[in-house]
Amino acid sequence: MIELSNVTKTYRTDKIETLALQNLNLSVGAGELVAVMGPSGCGKSTLLNLVGLLDSPSSGHISLEGERVNGQGDRYLSRLRNEKLGFIFQSFHLVSDLRVVDNVEIPLLYRAMSSKERRKAALEALERVGLSSRTGHFPGQLSGGQQQRVAIARAIVGKPKILLADEPTGNLDSQMGDEVMSILESLNDEGSTVVMVTHDARLAQKTDRVVRLFDGRQVD
Amino acid sequence: MLTNYLKLAIKVLLRRKFFTFVSFFGVCFTLTVLIVATAMLDHEFSAHYPELKLDRMVGVHRARMSGPTNSRDAAAGYRVIERTVRKLEGAERITVFQLHEQVAAYQDGRKLTLWLKHADGEFWRVFDFDFVEGAPYSQVDEERAGFVAVINESTRRALFGGASALGKSIEVDGQRFRITGVVRDVPFTRIRPFSDVWVPISTMKSASYREEMIGSFMAVVLAKQKGDIPALRRQFDELVRAMPLPDPVRFTRYETALETPFESLARTMELPSPNALRGIFLLFAVLFMTLPAINLVNLNLSRILERSSEIGVRRAFGATRATLIGQFVVENVVLTLIGGVLALGLSAITLSLINGSGLIPYAQFTINFRIFLWGFVIALAFGLFSGVYPAWRMSRMSPVNALKGNA
Repeated sequence: MIELSNVTKTYRTDKIETLALQNLNLSVGAGELVAVMGPSGCGKSTLLNLVGLLDSPSSGHISLEGERVNGQGDRYLSRLRNEKLGFIFQSFHLVSDLRVVDNVEIPLLYRAMSSKERRKAALEALERVGLSSRTGHFPGQLSGGQQQRVAIARAIVGKPKILLADEPTGNLDSQMGDEVMSILESLNDEGSTVVMVTHDARLAQKTDRVVRLFDGRQVD
Repeated sequence: MLTNYLKLAIKVLLRRKFFTFVSFFGVCFTLTVLIVATAMLDHEFSAHYPELKLDRMVGVHRARMSGPTNSRDAAAGYRVIERTVRKLEGAERITVFQLHEQVAAYQDGRKLTLWLKHADGEFWRVFDFDFVEGAPYSQVDEERAGFVAVINESTRRALFGGASALGKSIEVDGQRFRITGVVRDVPFTRIRPFSDVWVPISTMKSASYREEMIGSFMAVVLAKQKGDIPALRRQFDELVRAMPLPDPVRFTRYETALETPFESLARTMELPSPNALRGIFLLFAVLFMTLPAINLVNLNLSRILERSSEIGVRRAFGATRATLIGQFVVENVVLTLIGGVLALGLSAITLSLINGSGLIPYAQFTINFRIFLWGFVIALAFGLFSGVYPAWRMSRMSPVNALKGNA
């Protein structure tokens, strides 16, 4: 499903060159639930950004479902992100001016769908995360846990095969964190491949596999 | 998708009310000035009362007689018009008239300052005046030097209050005329038909005007159809070329043309063509839009920071750069179109104030459908002008940086 071979990512400024990932080889199979762990600054988010096609590697290759994505143009990468990937962020990144249901519809705006179809899919996704009663609210009117569930609904509304979660419980208390984790587990049970960056060893235990990074290298 | 963009555009506008106010103020002010200017130009150069058949009209407005040491530049002389315009074949009608002049008029011991125009009888058949009472004088009155006059409604009001003016007399510039008709006021901007009082040319105090090569006369030729105008122009040019000059030592050249008022203005400004004048107007409009557009560009750029998370999310969920450019341009165009609607309202108020101020006698500036369309085009151009660059900058943001808020 996801293949990284010899991936290196270097960030350069005028004076400093930072090696964020070094010769990383990683393979994630379809339907796997993988946790990525490591200390701050070890390259976890960089890894997720590369897999999520939000950033490009300095060297090495990345493939999604057998398609090599390096060097592809904006239109191609945007289509892949739209169809194959769903993102869940630590700080939710909901658009505060849009109602919950409009937030969830965002990925579908970039598909050839009627507004009726979009609305139906968004309501189904919200029902899936238990937020049917909050569709008309604005993000600021929801608790952190509810906002993250909206973010999950947004991530799954387009039925992507891969969910990428960057510390999805990092801003939540343990009870809400568990709720979010159980949603991710059940999505995984339904066939989604989930790659999750986390600091929480307790959550990592619930995954199929833990990838540990240190100073930009995979350590086990 | 468009609904989503519009909703968000309006929310974004409401988010920072002061910025929005400043943006709207700039947009409204700019568009108002441009719409008012367009309305005035439209009123000057498009078909309006009483020049309704403008597409079939060409005229002689200015003339220049020059020689090695002398040059005279003004309206044409009556003699030239007699020898050229009057001899044109194939025109539907030809009218000759004088430029309006300010004169004193007396009524019941009261002195009034009025605009007087000497015009032939055909004048009333070439232009489409609305007669509120009576009728125009005729070509026979012109030929017989009949002391008859047509006045406008404002003059009637000033002279006779609300009473009828028909058959009554008026003393203008020391001559007494019998009033045959009253017309609706003609705005000052319609230079050719404008006046307060119209009387036959033949009633002029002196006949010396008949010998003038350069003077104060104009002529309008009404073609049978628009397509006849080029042939009429050619005929006219030949007649002007063949016309002998009275003093060939002092004056060797006579320049005039059968043209529209717009062409005439371009020639007066010594521009190579009317398109050059259109270009100047366009350039002026663009330059006038530039400063507020730059202001709006800056305001839009400052909003990038606020919206970096949204940009990152949209990129993450599949928006291409082109889609984002489209979204932000649409938002900006919505802002400017809303500004355009407000500006149309403000323009209507401004034009109404100008009409009522008396600065331009009998001004009748209005916002018609053509001005509305121009206003829309100007607002759209302004929206694109000020929206494309910020949209392009926003779309170039890396999704990762956008999500981190590092715009």
